[in-house]
Amino acid sequence: MTLFKLLSSSVAGLMLVSCVTINIYFPAAAAEKAADRIIGDVWGEETKPSVAPTPAEQTNNSSSIKMPIAVSVLNWLISPAAAEANLNVNSAAIADIQNRMKARHESLKAYFDNGAIGLTENGLITVRDAKAVSLKDRNTVNGLVADENKDRSALYAEIARANGHPEWQSDIQATFARRWISNAVAGWWYQTSGNWQQK
Amino acid sequence: MKNTSTWLVFCAAMLVLWQCVTFASDQFKFTVDHWAFDDLSAQNLAVNIQLTRQGLIVNASADSIVLAQPIGLVKKVTLQCTELVLLSAQTNCVAGKLEFTHKELGSQAIEFSLKAMTEQEDYQLSVSNLKFADANFTIIANYNTQKWQAVVTSSKVSLVKLVQNITPYLDKDKQSQLTAWTFDSELTLQASLSGHQQKLEHVNIELQTSALNMSDNQGKYVTENVALSLLLDLAVQNKSWQWQTDISLKSGQAYAEPVFVDFTDAELSIVAAGNWQNAQQHLVISNAQVNHNNIVKVQGAYSGSLQKVEVLDITIKQADLAKLYSVWLQPFALGTAADKLEMAGQIGLFYKQQADNFQLSVNLDEVFIDDEKSRFGIYDLNGDVAWSNYQSVTQSKLAWLGGYVYAVPFGKSTLQIESHSSSLSLLEPWSLPILDGALLVNEFTLHNTVDDKTQWTFDGLVTPISMESLSAAVGWPLLHGKLSGVIPKVSYVDQQVQVDGALMVKLFEGTTVISDLRLAKPFGSLPQLYANIDLTGLDLEILTQTFDFGKITGKLDGSVRDLRLSNWQPVQFDAHFATPEGDKSRRRISQKAIDNLSQIGGGVGGILSRSFLRFFEDFSYQKLGLSCILRSETCEMSGIGEAKQGYYIVKGGGLPPRINVVGYTREVDWPDLIERLKAVSQSSGPIIE
Repeated sequence: MTLFKLLSSSVAGLMLVSCVTINIYFPAAAAEKAADRIIGDVWGEETKPSVAPTPAEQTNNSSSIKMPIAVSVLNWLISPAAAEANLNVNSAAIADIQNRMKARHESLKAYFDNGAIGLTENGLITVRDAKAVSLKDRNTVNGLVADENKDRSALYAEIARANGHPEWQSDIQATFARRWISNAVAGWWYQTSGNWQQK
Repeated sequence: MKNTSTWLVFCAAMLVLWQCVTFASDQFKFTVDHWAFDDLSAQNLAVNIQLTRQGLIVNASADSIVLAQPIGLVKKVTLQCTELVLLSAQTNCVAGKLEFTHKELGSQAIEFSLKAMTEQEDYQLSVSNLKFADANFTIIANYNTQKWQAVVTSSKVSLVKLVQNITPYLDKDKQSQLTAWTFDSELTLQASLSGHQQKLEHVNIELQTSALNMSDNQGKYVTENVALSLLLDLAVQNKSWQWQTDISLKSGQAYAEPVFVDFTDAELSIVAAGNWQNAQQHLVISNAQVNHNNIVKVQGAYSGSLQKVEVLDITIKQADLAKLYSVWLQPFALGTAADKLEMAGQIGLFYKQQADNFQLSVNLDEVFIDDEKSRFGIYDLNGDVAWSNYQSVTQSKLAWLGGYVYAVPFGKSTLQIESHSSSLSLLEPWSLPILDGALLVNEFTLHNTVDDKTQWTFDGLVTPISMESLSAAVGWPLLHGKLSGVIPKVSYVDQQVQVDGALMVKLFEGTTVISDLRLAKPFGSLPQLYANIDLTGLDLEILTQTFDFGKITGKLDGSVRDLRLSNWQPVQFDAHFATPEGDKSRRRISQKAIDNLSQIGGGVGGILSRSFLRFFEDFSYQKLGLSCILRSETCEMSGIGEAKQGYYIVKGGGLPPRINVVGYTREVDWPDLIERLKAVSQSSGPIIE
């Protein structure tokens, strides 16, 4: 029994040593907070960050982040908060994109409202119902969507880089994707599993 | 068409029947329960013939008649001919009326006249008031052994109704294709058909509408209130259809993803001719001319199947680039760096494709291009660019007066290039003047990868560019020195420019070497610049003068490692600056500089001026240095050595008076630090009382 205890604790100890230095896992909660702050700024007053994610959403979140088993063990050994890195979204570059997106939202809002554009599952936007846009405005809307997606992709990449973890880009994008949808105003459209749904 | 010929046959049959009957009274009647003739059959056929002064009156009726497909069953048929004239070889029905009901054609009351010369097999028929798709159709037809002809004209017909009425006669595929569209329009239609015996030899269709509204389900192809006139002429020649068409779009708007065209602003017409071989499914467009009024005139030719090109020629002789771009080019450029351009000048284009080989040549005449975001521009661009996947070499030449990339202007230059096998290369070394220096390019190659991504590489050198002109251009404080470098290789792959080799800047009497320079998405949403910079032997006196920092003399070495600029703003680096080891130069630091350094280090400025030290103008120092590791908007500061609770920025030494400057703040907010530096360079320094 003593031998077993010794063995298990040394294995755990080894894991601790080997994992702490390598795995800084994605700070999901911090990312959500950061996303909400940026979304709140870009979309303005109309979209106040909705109530904290429901337990269902939370489980969904944690399952969506692939965690090596070793890290899960680590989670159990030490509290996640201690292992979670902070996420910094304050930089001139991020502020630049944020301001551009905010300004662009003035033009995009009407098209979110009438369902012409919708939020995609991967944190971007797309033209959902071209018929809701008058012919002469089609190019303008296509252009706005292209610009917005360029900025959104750049934003996700920049947050990842600014925090010294370029590999977090897809996690950040996934977090934003969920938060854009959560924060969307009633009546706006979003995609889930390839199908369109209205808030 | 079949409709007409069927009725022609039916009427003729009735007349033949009539001629077989002899009569002796003023009126003749007969009824038949079931009557069949070729592929016609009738139920309860009743014929009543009356003799009048004008001729004969014939009334015939049947409960139902089955005609050949696609007409099929017609019910409640009555045929009336109030003036039937019988001559020796001619039968005329001057005023006829035919009524019937039909599943698709509804209930019809058709007026007709018929002249039949049975011996010569010459028939002339005119039909009016034929109702189809809620519109009235008139048909004038004649038939003889040599030729037959029919002219069909319509009153205004609703396109919706027309499609509804035609749909049942189409195959399943075409039916489902039609359900993917919505229509709304009123057309006038005139068609003329002619042929010989069973054969159709010539078709001429004229179609007009003042407001065509069409859309597919997804709204990718839409027309709104388009005034359209279409003329199509088809003739059978040598087993193929010779066709000719003239389409004009005069007002209204259309969208075909991603292009939007307003025909009210500029009419569009298409005139084309060619032939179609149905058996081989082979199309030839011998000549097509598309004229988008005042915007572009395109000439084209095509031959091949609907899937595979054999020959394709497209020529645009000259078009106004600004107009062409705004209507036809910009929609395709959305999301790229070229989606917001201001342009002027003329462009010509020649494209030739034979099977999988193509050749493209673009001619530019006094072209001016300006990015709306002022990221790049080029002025007075003339010449041509050729691009082809042929092995044979095509040479071309481009020349321009000037332009800019971001804040850096470039000058007049000529580029001689050759193209083959989907690649471009230089015919001769190229020199691009940049400010007072130049970029000299020896080798340049550009090619498309298999997945159609553009890659290019070049090697060359930068001849000295004065830092005075560069700093003025990019809005820095006036710097003195030269920038130059040998560039073994610059490559562009996957939206990333990588500079191998090093750029050397002779600055502040020292040498600054920029290496590992990499630029990602240079015209993207957030351009990223990566570099490592090493500085040696900078003269602090010139440096501090330039930035008005307060005089310091001595030398300075330094390095900026892992530098990343995002959108041209520094967001990450490890910077270290210090007096070089074994520096023999005279090292003095002024009061103002000390004050400024202590401010940067988080201290309070102006301490010196309040102490007795204010009587000394400058102090000697042994070593000075400062480091900043920038991450997440925070600069982690350190100096040349640890001091009590802090770090040394300046260590005094040499002849007295000596002075140490110690920094206590380890973490400085980067924007704050920038503000402080700006304040330092703008302040007038400490006041010495």
